[in-house]
Amino acid sequence: MHELGVMIEVVNYVEDFAKKNGLTKIDTLVLQIGELSAIIPRYIEACYPAAIDGTMLENTKLKIEVLPANAICRECSKVFNVVQNNKICPRCGNEKWELLCGKEFLIKEIIAC
Amino acid sequence: MNTFKIIEIKESVFANNDRQASLLREELKKRKTFLLNLMSSPGSGKTTTVLKTIEALKDEMKIGVMEADIDSDVDASLVSKTGVKVIQLHTGGMCHLDAYMTKQGLDELEIEGLDLVILENVGNLVCPAEFDTGASKSVMILSVPEGDDKPLKYPLMFSVVDILLINKIDAMSIFDFNIEKVKERVKKINPNIKVIPISAKTGEGFDEWINWLREEVKSWKK
Ligand SMILES: Nc1nc2c(ncn2[C@@H]2O[C@H](COP(=O)(O)OP(=O)(O)O)[C@@H](O)[C@H]2O)c(=O)[nH]1
Ligand SMILES: [Mg+2]
Ligand SMILES: [Zn+2]
Repeated sequence: MHELGVMIEVVNYVEDFAKKNGLTKIDTLVLQIGELSAIIPRYIEACYPAAIDGTMLENTKLKIEVLPANAICRECSKVFNVVQNNKICPRCGNEKWELLCGKEFLIKEIIAC
Repeated sequence: MNTFKIIEIKESVFANNDRQASLLREELKKRKTFLLNLMSSPGSGKTTTVLKTIEALKDEMKIGVMEADIDSDVDASLVSKTGVKVIQLHTGGMCHLDAYMTKQGLDELEIEGLDLVILENVGNLVCPAEFDTGASKSVMILSVPEGDDKPLKYPLMFSVVDILLINKIDAMSIFDFNIEKVKERVKKINPNIKVIPISAKTGEGFDEWINWLREEVKSWKK
């Protein structure tokens, strides 16, 4: 799985960010992961301890927010969740839609001082 | 005592790879080397297709190959028998290549004077689709025995490639595989994709594939 490599990159980025902004303690790291992202929250949690080992984030808690896979129907403009609705617009039955969100993988924020 | 506060970052984790990939693509454009990223499940016929492609083009252009099959150099030694420059990338068990690893591979290969570099990516339909390698164009191979429902299961991969090769069509009669259905499913996800049925065993369909590749390599130099 690619989650460990990706998490090491995240930890590097946050350490860098903290240093540049004069932060010394990071209490919590908040990530946002889209429902359709190839990154799986469960795996991120599993490799997190290995990724923070020996870094400034060693005692930092991890919080993951899952972003819904929402799309807008090209026919009737209804916004709906693609996963829950089996990729079909629940209002008009159209299969043509545009994804609005659900693929992201973001470092949202940190709680630090 | 300091108080903890919420500090917004809002950085996309893949943004960094996307930036490196764009830089690499610009550099390749300047150096007039076309990089082809070849992706598929294990066993779909990447290596066989690479070998046949080299045979067809090696007299008219300079070719290099980067093999990224996990922890084996079987593929690299097969390819080196054709006489083209080839290196084996060791991905250390990673399931994909990112732009940084691709760049390192290209440096090791020494691309000066090469017209075409083919990257045989790690056999996997999920992770390589998430990471832009910096390639000029991306190709995916779907082989007949894998079934025509793959676009439904791995939509992201089908959405990021420029061309889909449907391989092993010589085995069509044995499998329940509907090419028209695949085309329909794939075009729904990626309207601009080009689909070419081939057999890397018999060479069927290779004219169209080779013509496409030749034209792409040519226009990359402009
Ligand atoms: N029948 C048939 N077999 C093929 C074809 N292309 C590849 N193969 C076979 O499929 C197997 C896997 O091919 P290979 O090129 O190593 O796949 P890779 O893992 O994607 O590199 C080998 O035994 C090939 O001989 C084809 O067009 N038709
Ligand atoms: Mg191979
Ligand atoms: Zn609708």
